[in-house]
Amino acid sequence: MRIRFRLDGQSVEVDVKHTETLLRVLKDRLGVGSVHFGCGEGSCGACIVLIDGRPRYSCLTLAGYVDGKEVSTVAALARDGELTEIQKAFVENNAAQCGYCTPGMILIVRALLEKNPSPSDEELFDALAGNLCRCTGYVPIINAIRSVIKR
Amino acid sequence: MSLITSGYFAPVSVREVLSLKRRLRDKALIVAGGTAAVQLISKMIVEPQAIISLEKVPLDYVKMRANSVEIGATTPLARLIHRKDLPDALKKAVESIHGLALKDMATVGGNIFTPAPAGDIATALLSLDAVLILRGARGTRSVQLSKFYRGPLQFNIKPDEILTAVRVNRPPRMSAFLKQTPWKYSGPTIASVAVGLDLDKNGKTRRAMVALGGLTTHPYRAKKVEKMITGKKLSEQLIEGAAQHLTDGVEVIDDALASSWYRMRVAEVLFKRILYNITAGG
Ligand SMILES: Cc1cc2nc3c(=O)[nH]c(=O)nc-3n(C[C@H](O)[C@H](O)[C@H](O)COP(=O)(O)OP(=O)(O)OC[C@H]3O[C@@H](n4cnc5c(N)ncnc54)[C@H](O)[C@@H]3O)c2cc1C
Ligand code: FES
Ligand code: FES
Repeated sequence: MRIRFRLDGQSVEVDVKHTETLLRVLKDRLGVGSVHFGCGEGSCGACIVLIDGRPRYSCLTLAGYVDGKEVSTVAALARDGELTEIQKAFVENNAAQCGYCTPGMILIVRALLEKNPSPSDEELFDALAGNLCRCTGYVPIINAIRSVIKR
Repeated sequence: MSLITSGYFAPVSVREVLSLKRRLRDKALIVAGGTAAVQLISKMIVEPQAIISLEKVPLDYVKMRANSVEIGATTPLARLIHRKDLPDALKKAVESIHGLALKDMATVGGNIFTPAPAGDIATALLSLDAVLILRGARGTRSVQLSKFYRGPLQFNIKPDEILTAVRVNRPPRMSAFLKQTPWKYSGPTIASVAVGLDLDKNGKTRRAMVALGGLTTHPYRAKKVEKMITGKKLSEQLIEGAAQHLTDGVEVIDDALASSWYRMRVAEVLFKRILYNITAGG
């Protein structure tokens, strides 16, 4: 089947199988580099994208689902090379080591803060529960997020 | 058009879903949030010829009535998270499932079908004596959730039917849900217990629903325990005695996550904690 959707603001059209995941289509067919495969079962968050502004695991989303929708990856956040506040905070706090988890982390934080600009620690940990980081021990990530939370 | 039997279908009404089901029969897989269903596909456990996605079917709603709560089958858990008007057991079960993306995707209806270590929402709904609303080619019927599970991955649903809503009639005055996981955020369920209770003015139990999750493929009601505590005051002796019968006649899962012995002990502790909290709270 042929699907059409917007990917980071650009229209794309691609032929997909009805059983194909969005993750496969983005990575293998469209060459998107920032969306990562970690587990394929919703446990790691490396594959998260925003679909019509809401976070979804692309490994658990069938490609057909995004037909007519808007898919955003972390690549769409920076404007004219200028990083967003959250991205800058990640850099300043050394919140990325290997960087594998970073795009998913940034997108989840963005989705959280959009709905709730000043989350409590409990709300923050709850939101991030589906994003694994194997490098940082989470402390720099939490510090980066706290630095942009409006209190 | 009517000859097409493979592909990705996103019908916009329950009627359309039902006519697709009639046409495609067991060739099609229903996908709601996809958190379990898509894994079945990507792990090649199933190879459906067609997908029927419920994403556009208007079953994403919560209806509060004077003495009932109805939740549409495709309502994502995120929709329930800030509602103060839901029964406590359901609220706590939703809170116990972590991760922003997961709560945005996972639906209430999908949880009913998803085996242990999932099924937390189903466990909470069992303790509220929830009813499932099923629609099929021949109309609508309702089935008590406690009569829905027939065995591992076997449900009281016909091939032409889908689940459209869950409804709690006469929610119990008190309800609670506790679950134990190996780590706090997003750990799999070792055991969960949900209790719904109505007490009379003398403090005797008028109605008791005790549901256990994580111990078997699908949650179940501990009927013996319910009988033991109904009509009586919740004394320490009664609670301790009843806790010994939570898994009567049940074969408890024994796997890498936890032994069956451990799961049973955890369930006892959670059950007692819930009842002692209730008796301490007056
Ligand atoms: C990382 C991760 C962590 C999780 N943690 C928890 C947890 O802590 N507690 C917990 O309880 N669960 C947990 N789950 C499981 C998750 O909650 C359930 O998988 C979810 O509720 C299923 O809903 P869904 O909409 O995604 O269902 P789907 O995956 O879309 O569907 C599941 C099954 O139900 C069928 N189905 C769905 N809706 C209908 C309908 N309306 N009518 C007929 N059939 C239908 C589908 O055909 C499919 O077989 C977790 C899952 C993941 C991936
Ligand atoms: S690859 Fe999707 S959550 Fe891990
Ligand atoms: S920085 Fe390496 S996984 Fe998080």
